[in-house]
Amino acid sequence: MIEVQNLHKSFGAQKVLRGIDLRLDKGKVLVIIGPSGSGKTTLLRCFNLLEQPDIGTLRVGEIVLDFKEGFKPKQEQILKLRKQSGMVFQAYHLFPHMTAAGNVMEGLITVQKKNKAEARRVSLELLERVGLGNKADSYPHMLSGGQQQRVGIARAMAVNPEVLLFDEPTSALDPELVGEVLRVMKSLASSGMTMIVVTHEMKFAAEVADRIILMDSGRIIEEGSPQEVFQNPKSPRAAQFLNILTENK
Amino acid sequence: MDERKVQILMDSLLPLLKAAVAFTVPLTLTSFALGLVLAVITALVRLSHWRIGRLVARFYVWIIRGTPLLLQLFIIFFGLPSIGIILDPFIASVIGFSLSVGAYGSEIVRAAIQSISAGQWEAAYSIGMTRSQALRRIILPQAARVSVPPLANAFISLVKDTSLAASITYVEMFRTAQEIVAITFEPLLLYSEAGVLYLMLSTLLSGLQNFLERRLSRYTTR
Repeated sequence: MIEVQNLHKSFGAQKVLRGIDLRLDKGKVLVIIGPSGSGKTTLLRCFNLLEQPDIGTLRVGEIVLDFKEGFKPKQEQILKLRKQSGMVFQAYHLFPHMTAAGNVMEGLITVQKKNKAEARRVSLELLERVGLGNKADSYPHMLSGGQQQRVGIARAMAVNPEVLLFDEPTSALDPELVGEVLRVMKSLASSGMTMIVVTHEMKFAAEVADRIILMDSGRIIEEGSPQEVFQNPKSPRAAQFLNILTENK
Repeated sequence: MDERKVQILMDSLLPLLKAAVAFTVPLTLTSFALGLVLAVITALVRLSHWRIGRLVARFYVWIIRGTPLLLQLFIIFFGLPSIGIILDPFIASVIGFSLSVGAYGSEIVRAAIQSISAGQWEAAYSIGMTRSQALRRIILPQAARVSVPPLANAFISLVKDTSLAASITYVEMFRTAQEIVAITFEPLLLYSEAGVLYLMLSTLLSGLQNFLERRLSRYTTR
């Protein structure tokens, strides 16, 4: 289970998150949408402490951290929390000096101290699952964007996380490559993976999300099932944003 | 060219080569190896959160870059004995050159580490790595590739700079040439000959650089 309560985060004088509360049960998919600068990526990055909240409670799996003024989590708390999640980045951020299998094995070997043969076996399984069983020994620069991102997904899954975090996973892709990545994400969702996805892919959100939150200026302004959010937005600001999105289609 | 000069050339070739192999090359390799270790440590300290360490590292680089190498060698070899530290010319030279490579090299290594995108750190952290694991497994291997050309520059400079050790009585190739000049009175001939040998050494090193770059470019960074 994932939970945040009253989460605040500022960069200098700029308030990026102004009191976020949300809860996500195991096996559910949460999609975060909102205009750029609304704080959705910052919120996502708080879940694995790539950003540290200023104030608020953060719970991922069994780890609970209570942020307030003067509190800095210890290194081991940060590591423990990070082991609960895997992250998929907009720009993939694969390790360019390692093969696809090497990328997936890295967390297993360096972090989980598994032996090489075992790590290799797991990595091949995962690459198979994202449809790249035949690319195990290719270096990232030899792969298309869509393939790289699927390796990114396999790498994030390798450490067997409680939750997968996706930061606009298809935004850097050529349009014809978006589908292959979304298909992998759909199949993960239907296999019961807990996922939090920041995306602009509304069709994906409508089909896959159990819950959608719409953020604006650091707050959640709309929350509910895809149906509720897309069909009957309660706030005028949400309606306006959704209108712009559908006009752009 | 008259016969005498040809004879001097031939006769001096062996001693010069011997001096290169027995003194110039070992001095270069030892100083570069130690200097490189010093460079990486200094760069890491400068990029760390350790304030006093950062200050010390900056001070070290400031001193070494801001004073002549020849003067540093003189302080180590001729100056330190007056406070009771007497060093053999080889040791004094290694200390001087290592400190120099360490200071200049640390800037190369620091720049190379900083050239690796923040996304690589974040990806490493996101799979649960500590800072030192991320450095060792993800950042340094990529930084190594970036730093090969500038480090090769430093290496080739060092080969030539070792001739400064002649002035603190270390009999390497240049000093050997000087000694032969003192007997034969043929400075143009002997120094040109030594020059050709230095040129051969640095050409060999450029070849090594090419080899390393090819080996490390099995992947390409963005």
